[in-house]
Amino acid sequence: MEAGSSRSAFARSVIDNAVPTVSTFPWLPLLDGLSEQPLSRRREVLRRIVQQVMESERTGGTLDDAAFLALALEVFRYQAHANTAYGTWVQRRGVDPRRAEALSDILPVPARAFKDLRMLADGSPVEATFRTSGTTGGAERRGIHFVRDLDLYRMSILTTASNTLLSEPGYNRNSIRVLSLTPGPGVAPDSSLVHMFHIWIDAWDDRGGGFFGGTSWEPKTGELRAAIGRAVGEGLPVLLVGTAFSFVRWLDALPSGHPELPPGSIVVETGGFKGRSRVVPRGELYRALSATTGVSVARIVNEYGMTELLSQFYEPVLSGEAPEDPDRRWHVGPSWVRTRILDPETLDAVDPGEPGLLCHVDLANLDSAVAVLTEDVGFQPHELAAARPTSRAFRLLGRGQGAEPRGCSLVMEELLGVAGPAADR
Amino acid sequence: MSVVRAFQLPPSTESLGIELVSEPLGPPGSSPFQAATTATATPIVWPAFGRDGASGLLDALRSAKASLDRLPAQGIADKVGEVGERFGDPADAIRLEAEGRVALESGLSAASAGLVVDRVAREWSRARLASLLQADFPDPSVLDGFVRADNGDSIHAVGGSLSFHIGSGNVPGVGATSIVRSLLVKCPVLLKPGREDIALSCLFARALAEAYPDLGRAVAVVYWPRGRGGELETLALERAERVVVYGGNALVRDIRGRTRVGAAFVAYPHRLSVGLVGRELLEEETRARKVASDAAEAASAYDGRGCVSPKVIWVETGGRVEPREWASLLAAEMDRIESEAPAAPLDVASAATLQQLRGSSELAAAAGGENAVFSGSSSRWAVLFEPSPDRAIELTCPGRTVVVRPIDRLERVPDVIARVAEAIQSVALAAGEGRRAELASRLVDVGATRVTSFPRLAWPPAWWRHDGTAPLQALVRWTTLEP
Repeated sequence: MEAGSSRSAFARSVIDNAVPTVSTFPWLPLLDGLSEQPLSRRREVLRRIVQQVMESERTGGTLDDAAFLALALEVFRYQAHANTAYGTWVQRRGVDPRRAEALSDILPVPARAFKDLRMLADGSPVEATFRTSGTTGGAERRGIHFVRDLDLYRMSILTTASNTLLSEPGYNRNSIRVLSLTPGPGVAPDSSLVHMFHIWIDAWDDRGGGFFGGTSWEPKTGELRAAIGRAVGEGLPVLLVGTAFSFVRWLDALPSGHPELPPGSIVVETGGFKGRSRVVPRGELYRALSATTGVSVARIVNEYGMTELLSQFYEPVLSGEAPEDPDRRWHVGPSWVRTRILDPETLDAVDPGEPGLLCHVDLANLDSAVAVLTEDVGFQPHELAAARPTSRAFRLLGRGQGAEPRGCSLVMEELLGVAGPAADR
Repeated sequence: MSVVRAFQLPPSTESLGIELVSEPLGPPGSSPFQAATTATATPIVWPAFGRDGASGLLDALRSAKASLDRLPAQGIADKVGEVGERFGDPADAIRLEAEGRVALESGLSAASAGLVVDRVAREWSRARLASLLQADFPDPSVLDGFVRADNGDSIHAVGGSLSFHIGSGNVPGVGATSIVRSLLVKCPVLLKPGREDIALSCLFARALAEAYPDLGRAVAVVYWPRGRGGELETLALERAERVVVYGGNALVRDIRGRTRVGAAFVAYPHRLSVGLVGRELLEEETRARKVASDAAEAASAYDGRGCVSPKVIWVETGGRVEPREWASLLAAEMDRIESEAPAAPLDVASAATLQQLRGSSELAAAAGGENAVFSGSSSRWAVLFEPSPDRAIELTCPGRTVVVRPIDRLERVPDVIARVAEAIQSVALAAGEGRRAELASRLVDVGATRVTSFPRLAWPPAWWRHDGTAPLQALVRWTTLEP
């Protein structure tokens, strides 16, 4: 049923949408009979296709629903075969990957499983490990994403971020200063968030920016002020990035008369309070940030990501697609991701407009879990369902750990003390 | 269309609210967003107060103090107990109304709601309240005036003239019990009940006002969603001499920060309960099954929302019934209860957590672990068998979900739970008599405040030392008259 509705929506999107789609790309025939090939060959072909999809998206291409489905199913078949634990689970759940024909046939891996298992093809090499945030006591288990392919991760990060953040005409990608309120990879080597900022700095920064967070993630206010001052002097726009709590702590620590950011600057906020600062409603935080930095609220962008996913979602406010009002914004990911919204009890897809759990199907997770079930709650507003190809955009209602479960016996994590940096990465 | 009246005010104060605020009451556990999109939602109404109205209400409560003072504490216990007993009487109209409203407003199935009302009302009887008074004050007349103590001083326990109790949980009965405790120490009370505890709180206050207007005048129940207490909440925090909070750490912290320094502050934050099963009870299947049945009843009570439901049970290895098999017995009992008294739909956050737990347990099993997931046709309960006894309790299980862990010796459990002992509410200990005392003292060492049995676990008596405190003593200050 899902595939059918996707296709008709796809047909509409092709008619309504002048953007070239990737379905005409020559790789679709490569999928024929691919599942009969040796695992290494399957991985290699899928890897090349995903890379091509990302490269195409850089230049304005998008992966349409039908092509996405074909590719996602092939990745699912590959993972069910290459990862014995996952394949066994799929089989025990009565799913035959060879017969899978809709996104709903892909058994999503609960994000929590990253705490217990190596979500990776058997015997696969690992280039990096990223951990979800934990409590300072460190007693509880943290999720680990074993990343096999940092190049693919980098391509995913840069493609989406540059399309979202640096796509305004006249933006010179090498003339921007990236100032991060987080510590750098030396201090936080297992934070996927810091890794992402590091890649931004490496790719875009003109070597004047960097990390301005201390070992306990406290903003180095004085150094940051000097860096902003230099950017102002040189007239370079700044990309100021950090978690919600780092911005709150930064604002709380600032003396009055702080220099505003140069024209063209952008603020990227990645969510997450989790006991590291007081909790501030988003609208309030953005107004305060805007008042301090001189960056308009419409240029303050929320990025939503998680350690378990190698793709990210942004609010398309810079392009004017999403409204400025923080409470009415929505997120969208790259075209190699589809987000399903599921009934929390049955895991069936809900109707558009109904809230449910976000389940991300992310082709960048080629080596780990192509479908990840989160505890985050969101919905697809009716107006987005009409305007966007299916399952791309959603409005976030709450992140799993932020939602307060009911009952006086719950919230053990709360009892265990102060939690780590961003929402769950 | 029916409307849920989420307040019960003393007669003279009903006109003080400036307006009635309404919000849809969605399916149990739903967010306001869901409720707003649900066609069948029942409107829930409560009064909003301006500063003058709030002040008038609090003044009226405070002035009711005199009528409480005219009665001996024991007399109050009798009257309150008489009202409480109506809720325990299956033939009483108010009992029926209570069951119906609890089912509607808390989402518990009719059978679960009936059980909850029956069991909590048992603790509101005259006899139970007399025992509660006695437990906290061996001579309850200290609440009525000065009483000569052995050391020559005279002492008087004073409950104050205004208290403010805030419930935020979803366990029916907490609010009414809190009212009872305040009245026993002769202190007028404003109660803000939890969202799913409106029914019993309001009905208890109403029944009290009908039977004993003097007592009724000292009780006001007003619900509001968190963060929307407005002037009434602000003023109550400014004026109350006692503030009692049931809820999450964030709420406790928030209210504590806004309570005036001189007021006594009593907090009952989130807790959870656990169970221990010794191998000596697993030598024959009938007995093992009985323990499983008792544990399942406790885990299913209040749909597992209460802090008195066991969330993790350690089962000793080496008996004829091994832990994993016992987990399957427990699951069978959970399934039976589900068919007799079905669980309410889970709220989104709990359902999300349950999906994560089930899915990751199944994956761990697929990866060759000894994990097992037992569940039935309903996705609202689960028994998760986890082979790692020493792993920290990381997150409690939502709803009717229990984790069973094997352990070689029960004596090791206190060390395992030591680091989260502050979070442990009660420990159900199913072990041979010879071991119980020794195990209990080990549990004391790690901070447990109640060691009990599975049949009693979910239904603590009126006089229980709530989170380790004497509940009435926590509400009084002492005045000493020295010779």
